[in-house]
Amino acid sequence: MSARPSSRRPRQRSRSSAGPMAVWLIALLVALIATVQLRSQAEVERSLVQADPATLAFSIDQLSRSNDALEAQISDLAQRKSKLQSGGSTAADQALQTELDQLRILEGLVPVHGPGVVLVIDASGLTALDLQDALNNLAAGGAEAMAVNDQRVVAGVPIVQTAGGVTVGGTLTPAPWTIVAIGDTNRLAETSDAMTQQLRGDRRVRQATYRVESDIVIRAVVTERPFVYGVP
Amino acid sequence: MGRTQPLSTALVALVALAVGFLLAGQVKAQLLTPSNQVGRNQALIRSVQDLERTNQADRANIQTLRAQIDALEAQAASQSQTTQGLQNQVADLRAHAGLTPLHGPGVEVVLTSGPPGSDPSGQSRNLITYQDVQDLVNLLFASGAEGVAVSGRRITPLSAFTGSEGEVIVDQGPPLFSPIRIVAVGDRNGMEAALGDPNSLPSLGIREIQFQLTLRVRGAPDETLPAFDGSLEAPHVGKA
Repeated sequence: MSARPSSRRPRQRSRSSAGPMAVWLIALLVALIATVQLRSQAEVERSLVQADPATLAFSIDQLSRSNDALEAQISDLAQRKSKLQSGGSTAADQALQTELDQLRILEGLVPVHGPGVVLVIDASGLTALDLQDALNNLAAGGAEAMAVNDQRVVAGVPIVQTAGGVTVGGTLTPAPWTIVAIGDTNRLAETSDAMTQQLRGDRRVRQATYRVESDIVIRAVVTERPFVYGVP
Repeated sequence: MGRTQPLSTALVALVALAVGFLLAGQVKAQLLTPSNQVGRNQALIRSVQDLERTNQADRANIQTLRAQIDALEAQAASQSQTTQGLQNQVADLRAHAGLTPLHGPGVEVVLTSGPPGSDPSGQSRNLITYQDVQDLVNLLFASGAEGVAVSGRRITPLSAFTGSEGEVIVDQGPPLFSPIRIVAVGDRNGMEAALGDPNSLPSLGIREIQFQLTLRVRGAPDETLPAFDGSLEAPHVGKA
């Protein structure tokens, strides 16, 4: 009699401990699988560049446009090279003269013309930073030559905030600003549209308009500055 | 007892089944959406990487072609004084346009974004923007720079800055990220004085304090700027 209970107790104990053990095992397995699953998911996400889709889409758009421009330049340079290879000094003179003319245009050293846009911004309290932003937006939007109130502007022409107002290349240039930009009119019109809409939302701005013109002339030029410190 | 046990077992099984379905649905909803996003992002990243490789190859091609053209022109110039004269004029204009390397006294400015999370508003004001770089480059030119390069990208008369959060694109790319290294050759004292003026770059100054952006300036007796390796095509403008 006494042996029965003693013989049953261990069996009961082993049954009652097997239940929780199984539950713990299952819980452990579930936890392990869940952890592995979640960690692998996190690893995948961590391995990606920390960029959102909008940033990536912007990069794709910019790079596609940039690569088109680079390929156009490659095509132009390849043509120039083959002319030089075939034509001796006459071809070299022509190629150099063409490049001379192009560089004078790009550096703002000669009057230029072409299709483009004319923006008029009338405001009080706008600063040199506002003008720099406007000119940079137009340059990024395809401007190949620009002037503000008949002052020629290329990258490197100082636009400075002084006590008397904004100066462009050392000349006081008060508002209203008439900004002229020559370039691809489709891109420039798109940029100008966005710019004027944004400007009209600025309390300081009284007027912000633009018009597209088929031929604009910029007569103002930049005076070439010789290198004083730099050595090419 | 004998009838209630199977009933309760069936009830537990049903509840477990329902919980299982609910859990599976929830887990699927939680995991599948990010998976799709990850997939889309990966496709976009691959496109960006492909375009960047093309961009790099095109730049290298442009540099090679310009060097070959230089050599051919030099060869022609050695046989003609007219060609020699034209080549000298072009060389001067190329230098001013940033098409040849430039060295001399100058400054190096390193602009670094603030640490992640340092803008608690979530507006990412701790990150460098293309406007910051634009303001710095304009300040350098206004204070005596004769040439400037942004993380190895030489500034030309046609240069423009674009970008999105934390990403800066100069001309035809590729995208640049923090830290951005701006090197200028020119009037070192003038540039150092302008960079040291607390009123020069108000936006950066405030964000340096609030969001731990850093602006490190170092003057040097001889800095070197690389030649521009992008496109200077301007097909819509002509001489008046």
